[in-house]
Amino acid sequence: MKVVIKAENVWKKYGSTIALRGASLELREGETKVIIGPSGAGKSTFLKCLNLLIRPDEGRICIDGEEITSLKADIIRLRQKIGFVFQEFNLFHHLTAVGNITIGLTKVKGMSKEDALEKAKRVLKMVHIGEDLWNKYPAQLSGGQKQRVAIARALAMDPLVMLYDEPTSALDPGLSSEVLLVIKDLSERGITSLVVTHEMGFAYEVADTIAIMNNGRIIEEGSPEEMEYMKTKEARNILNRWNGMKNGVLA
Amino acid sequence: MGFWLEFIPSLFMGLLTTFELVAISAPLGVTLGVALGTARVYGGKVLGSIARAFSALFRGFPLIVTLFLVFFGLPELGIYLSPIISAILSFSLCSGAYISEYVRGAILSVDEGQSLAAESIGMSKLQEVLYIVLPQAIRRAILGISNEIVYMIQYSSLAFAIGVQEMYSVARTYNSLYFKSFEIFSLLAVIYLAITALVTLIFRKLRKRIEPYSDSKAEFIE
Repeated sequence: MKVVIKAENVWKKYGSTIALRGASLELREGETKVIIGPSGAGKSTFLKCLNLLIRPDEGRICIDGEEITSLKADIIRLRQKIGFVFQEFNLFHHLTAVGNITIGLTKVKGMSKEDALEKAKRVLKMVHIGEDLWNKYPAQLSGGQKQRVAIARALAMDPLVMLYDEPTSALDPGLSSEVLLVIKDLSERGITSLVVTHEMGFAYEVADTIAIMNNGRIIEEGSPEEMEYMKTKEARNILNRWNGMKNGVLA
Repeated sequence: MGFWLEFIPSLFMGLLTTFELVAISAPLGVTLGVALGTARVYGGKVLGSIARAFSALFRGFPLIVTLFLVFFGLPELGIYLSPIISAILSFSLCSGAYISEYVRGAILSVDEGQSLAAESIGMSKLQEVLYIVLPQAIRRAILGISNEIVYMIQYSSLAFAIGVQEMYSVARTYNSLYFKSFEIFSLLAVIYLAITALVTLIFRKLRKRIEPYSDSKAEFIE
């Protein structure tokens, strides 16, 4: 399987605080990788570095074989290969659910309005947003609906990979599961995914690989089955603390 | 009776001139204000500084000084403008400077997540500003902009000072001929009030149309 994202030795400082200390990661086509780790471990910063929403101070990141961290990189074109879903949804407030999706298709991809509308409807159906909500504004949608529209917006751009930055942490458990089901469904359809989450149940159920992050770097990774045999004490400690939250988010 | 038969048609002509002044200056002022406000946030060092200096300049001295500078001052540099063009230019510059403040504040109030989301779907900075930030910022600035236009209706009366025959100028002329101050200025006050009320109503309707969907109401609807 080809490597879609390769990040090597990524560093990021905010003043005297070091958020990333040489984080590295590889994501292969079709793979679903979940990053877990305590708050402040640098997970969100790392994810935002991958499509250069945050520029790292050091390190090399390649998307589909092209280095996005290179000063000569066509960042705007490379970003279109990555779908990004934010913790706070970040839907465009002034546009309807459909408008949130068509704006990228018409302005960035240069599609006609009719084609963009057709595509918007198709992806909204994929994330289970019914016709009655298509013309609603973000302020008229529930949190779970907003996040599913945000997933549809990213998905509509036909990215090679979807990045999810704690997609359910702003939602209550009921709404979380409706979003997680959509992510699971997309992952099962073979969409390459990288998910930062605190939902351990989801991680064990959906991930091909779980990566454990602490103190600004990925300390260890493995399949859900391999989690019991982590080599480092640091990883085992984090897992011990978190395994209590494993049960049934998607149940 | 003869006075009113003469005064009312003249006042009506003055009213048309007032309309002309505001109808041309307001869109120019709004356009200039949006451009300056945007340049102040996104224009970088050079453009941003020019926009800031411009805004500080035209908010820094009275409008009457701008009017005199444009109408009496520019001819000394070989630029001759008619009274009405001078008034339109001065009003546009002045309202543009104030509106740029509202627009700048509104742009800064659009949360960073909107820009990040625009970037994440591959928009360029220009697309992000044009299609995502400005439409939201203008919605937020509309209260300030409407206030500025209402204010413009009032200060359009200053154009009398450079010889524009607008409403106040007509009233002033008739007052010096007939000394019917109470009747003349009462009527003038009522007309200004009516125009102001009409413009306020139009903006209120506009705000009501766009506000239900603004993010500020999000929590309320949920």
